[in-house]
Amino acid sequence: MNCEEAAKLMDGYLDRELDPITSQTIEQHLLECPKCDQAYKIHGSLIRAIGNATPYYKAPAELRERIQSSLRDEIAELPTRNIAREPQPLFPRREPRPRAILWETSWNWLALAAAIIFAAIIALTLVPRLQRPGADQFLATQLIASHVRSLMANHLTDVASSDQHTVKPWLDAKLDFAPPVVDLSQQGFPLIGGRLDYLDNRPVAALVYQRRKHFINLFVWPGETGAARPTMAMSHEGYQLLHWADPDFNYWAVSDVNANDLQTFKQQFETRTPRH
Amino acid sequence: MALPLKAEHASETEDFESRPNIVKFTVFKESEQNHAQKAELASFEEAILPHLDAAHNLARWLLRNEQDAQDVVQEAYLRAFKSFSGFHGSNGRAWLLTIVRNTSYTLLKKNQAVDFTTFDEEIHVAADEFASPATILEHGEDAELIREAMDALPAEFREILALQHQEGLSYKEIADIAQIPPGTVMSRLARARGKLKEYLTARIGKDK
Repeated sequence: MNCEEAAKLMDGYLDRELDPITSQTIEQHLLECPKCDQAYKIHGSLIRAIGNATPYYKAPAELRERIQSSLRDEIAELPTRNIAREPQPLFPRREPRPRAILWETSWNWLALAAAIIFAAIIALTLVPRLQRPGADQFLATQLIASHVRSLMANHLTDVASSDQHTVKPWLDAKLDFAPPVVDLSQQGFPLIGGRLDYLDNRPVAALVYQRRKHFINLFVWPGETGAARPTMAMSHEGYQLLHWADPDFNYWAVSDVNANDLQTFKQQFETRTPRH
Repeated sequence: MALPLKAEHASETEDFESRPNIVKFTVFKESEQNHAQKAELASFEEAILPHLDAAHNLARWLLRNEQDAQDVVQEAYLRAFKSFSGFHGSNGRAWLLTIVRNTSYTLLKKNQAVDFTTFDEEIHVAADEFASPATILEHGEDAELIREAMDALPAEFREILALQHQEGLSYKEIADIAQIPPGTVMSRLARARGKLKEYLTARIGKDK
């Protein structure tokens, strides 16, 4: 690799968007070329500065209310419009066909009822067998819901502290297990605090970390058999999930940071978790 | 044999139309429709409302004005709801942000096309004469300065910086939202950061 190529790939490398082989080639070049190395360092600080210094404009609470009430108005208006004018594109299938209405609608409702029962059966069958891939999906939905709730309801932490020696004893006292707690400030993931949560039919520990303007919820609970499971990454509704296990615990990290950041988080967490 | 039956049906239908008790059917249908709409609204809110902050942040950076940002986000949510039945993807955030982005650009274009070229070319001519990279880094934590610099960039740069630095989106997601080829994301980010740096160097140089 020459300097020109290295300069071209700089942003991709610093954003961790390049494939591992290209990244390695760049690292090799940086070792050999102090000029490029310096350029990468400077650009890296600029990138960090942009991320740290620019404000994240959260939506004010009244905007949420405004949107919700405008959506309510929208559905309140629709049926009248449907009758008065042409059918709206939102519900194009429901055209007035008097003879067929009763039959058609009751059929739809039967199908809906059947679907609900079917879904319930599937859910009930899957819950006890959490080792199956479908069950992971189900758990993933629960995890995301829990993550979103923790951010929405202003209940991110029960114990807010960046000190692992405060968070850990607090969790130990509340749970029947002692989850590992490490601060990763040095690695760019400062610890914000801890929280109790309830998942998979049991109380679990939720450790809260921050990445730039985003939060990572790390759910921890004891594993079943002491067997480590391979890391599993999922993306669902715009959230990233990462699951791994060591002989003692199950881990699920949930966040809206990008997949690479979450991988880095996992590596850093694992490296710094004291081994038993 | 089937033909007479059909004819009978047809006449019956017409009879039904003229009878007053057809109203019952209509009311029944409407309340079910209402129910379906409520269910749809509930699932829309569950999937899309959690991304309100992301939507607001993007609109705010694009429009540089709180009132416009709120209007655009509200409009975008209405649009999103109307096309929600056609959304089958799993990435609700990227889908919503695409709509927010398009709605923002519509307003930007309406307000003035000038926005796309507002970057003041004069400021950053020979910027490197003013300040060294080390000086920029000293000012790197100057949040107000960096915010100003970002606000001074053209919309396409503000957008890509907000998506990458604040939402932490991957290049692929950014490409989807900004509707550019994935290969363009890296070079556009590089140009955006380059411009930002030029602006910063020029500003720091001037202040001295």
